Amino acid sequence: MSDLDRQIEQLKRCEPLSESEVKSLCLKAMEILVEESNVQSVDAPVTLCGDIHGQFYDMMELFKVGGDCPKTNYLFLGDFVDRGYYSVETFLLLLALKVRYPDRITLIRGNHESRQITQVYGFYDECLRKYGSVNVWRYCTDIFDYMSLSAVVENKIFCVHGGLSPTINTLDQIRTIDRKQEVPHDGAMCDLLWSDPEDIVEGWGLSPRGAGFLFGGGVVMNFNHTNNIDYIGRAHQLVMEGYKWMFDSQIVTVWSAPNYCYRCGNIASILELDENLNKEFRVFQAAQQDSRGPPARKPAPDYFL
Amino acid sequence: MAESRSNRAAVQATNDDASASKLSCVKKGYMKDDYVHLFVKRPLRRSPIINRGYFSRWAAFRKLLAQFLESGISSNETAQPKKQILSLGAGFDTTYFQLLDEGKAPFLYVELDFKEVTSKKAAVIENSSQLRDKILGANSSISVEEGQVLSDHYKLLPVDLRDIPKLRDVVSFAGMDLSLPTFIIAECVLIYLDPDSSRAIVNWASKTFSTAVFFLYEQIHPDDAFGHQMIINLESRGCALLSIDASPTLLAKERLFLENGWQRAVAWDMLKVYGSFVDTQEKRRIERLELFDEFEEWHMMQEHYCVTYAVNDAMGIFGDFGFTRGSRESMNISSAMSP
Repeated sequence: MSDLDRQIEQLKRCEPLSESEVKSLCLKAMEILVEESNVQSVDAPVTLCGDIHGQFYDMMELFKVGGDCPKTNYLFLGDFVDRGYYSVETFLLLLALKVRYPDRITLIRGNHESRQITQVYGFYDECLRKYGSVNVWRYCTDIFDYMSLSAVVENKIFCVHGGLSPTINTLDQIRTIDRKQEVPHDGAMCDLLWSDPEDIVEGWGLSPRGAGFLFGGGVVMNFNHTNNIDYIGRAHQLVMEGYKWMFDSQIVTVWSAPNYCYRCGNIASILELDENLNKEFRVFQAAQQDSRGPPARKPAPDYFL
Repeated sequence: MAESRSNRAAVQATNDDASASKLSCVKKGYMKDDYVHLFVKRPLRRSPIINRGYFSRWAAFRKLLAQFLESGISSNETAQPKKQILSLGAGFDTTYFQLLDEGKAPFLYVELDFKEVTSKKAAVIENSSQLRDKILGANSSISVEEGQVLSDHYKLLPVDLRDIPKLRDVVSFAGMDLSLPTFIIAECVLIYLDPDSSRAIVNWASKTFSTAVFFLYEQIHPDDAFGHQMIINLESRGCALLSIDASPTLLAKERLFLENGWQRAVAWDMLKVYGSFVDTQEKRRIERLELFDEFEEWHMMQEHYCVTYAVNDAMGIFGDFGFTRGSRESMNISSAMSP
């Protein structure tokens, strides 16, 4: 068994790697990710997955439902870290799978794959708590800068974490972005990771998130038409039913963190596309408490008390 | 009480949790509270959604309290009419000390809670000159053992709120004047009690205080997915919301008061309270304090909490009291009225 296979087995038990192992894993991952396009081409069949947010045991449910990598080809739409208790193990497992099976798993960047956001929403604190230093956080956030910004499945399904940008009309414009940087506060790269589709918006609207834009059905229709795209697959927004179509099936939100933050009570989904791009949503629930073996701590989400 | 779902120590511990959250808000600059840190052993950093939620609750509470304190003051009178505040299940709340600093403290401020809590609070007050010096006077005394702080204008007393005769005695012992305008506070308190006790307290308060505002902040909507998970999570830490099924909606919260003697009652969920009642300028200020990326969850969480206020107005001083004061809506009859 290679070191990498052993590390994957270890991570599947939710046991983090040592700091030096993380460092060398990140170096290997960097070599692979740097070669990927800003619009990474992905072949079908493939399974689309939305936000995970450090909910490791729920991601194990995802693999139970969707099948193991490399048997199943996966496309993860970002937001691997923050909020949940196991961002370290979650991200490192996905990264190790990427290094081991580079053609069977695609990881694109979400707005939480950012130095600034992870310092507010938990990943930074978790690294500090689990390793006693911020080195692992540094290695991981450096890797974030190399992750692709979007993917296109069989040239027909455009996949991105957030949505569209008023400065982007064509996929070629995305290809010209210099992505190897922290997520900027505005501009095309920021918008792809932050924007949301919104029913009540015609054209473009201001986002309450303070980054990215809201975009309406007309914008999506134009983009899909211009780029000869069937529909857009994205994540970024919690949907209680696990997935949600908008604008006459021109865009779908896929959400893969069940009982988000151990508090929301939602179900999750993944979208399976077969070789002919036929769609099947597979919905799943949060992992049972007893499958979160020791030393997993019982989730104690915050409320207003 | 079903012991595993709801136990006294766990419910009392919600008080520590709330204080830690308030301190997290204060440290981030959401609001000012020079005293809450004295009650927190281990400061924690809460996520922005929790900070913003506690801020919205605090802002709504303080705005309604300010309306109460201003009620009945006519422009040609300079003397502040005597008023009193009764805080049920006060926990480690520091409002009294904040009001003192702001020059707005009422004639009498009475805090009630389980003895385990009032005893701890009395100890903190005794050991902190910052607090102690504010209340000490000729007639004041602090007893940690009795869980009791007595001073001219502030009293902290132990009682089990479910025992109405004792509650009556303790309010009388505290020297409350039943004819004075009274602001009654119950933040996440009645919901932990059995429905009969909750109703009895609301009923007792209405019969006891003829000119009063009852301020209630607590959970609603146990029946959807988020609510269901909230019930599970709180029960698993021993804090069952024993009264939530008895008044699960805004309408039911209003009815709880109207059916128990209050003249007027209005319930809004916290999403509406934040959107339409909390000052716009304040929102602009606090929304810049932290990155905020949890809107779907924020909406859901805020929809599962509400503020209900009920009014008895024998003195006729609360005519325009409420969420819509000064707005066009207040011209219409927007609130539920008892028959």
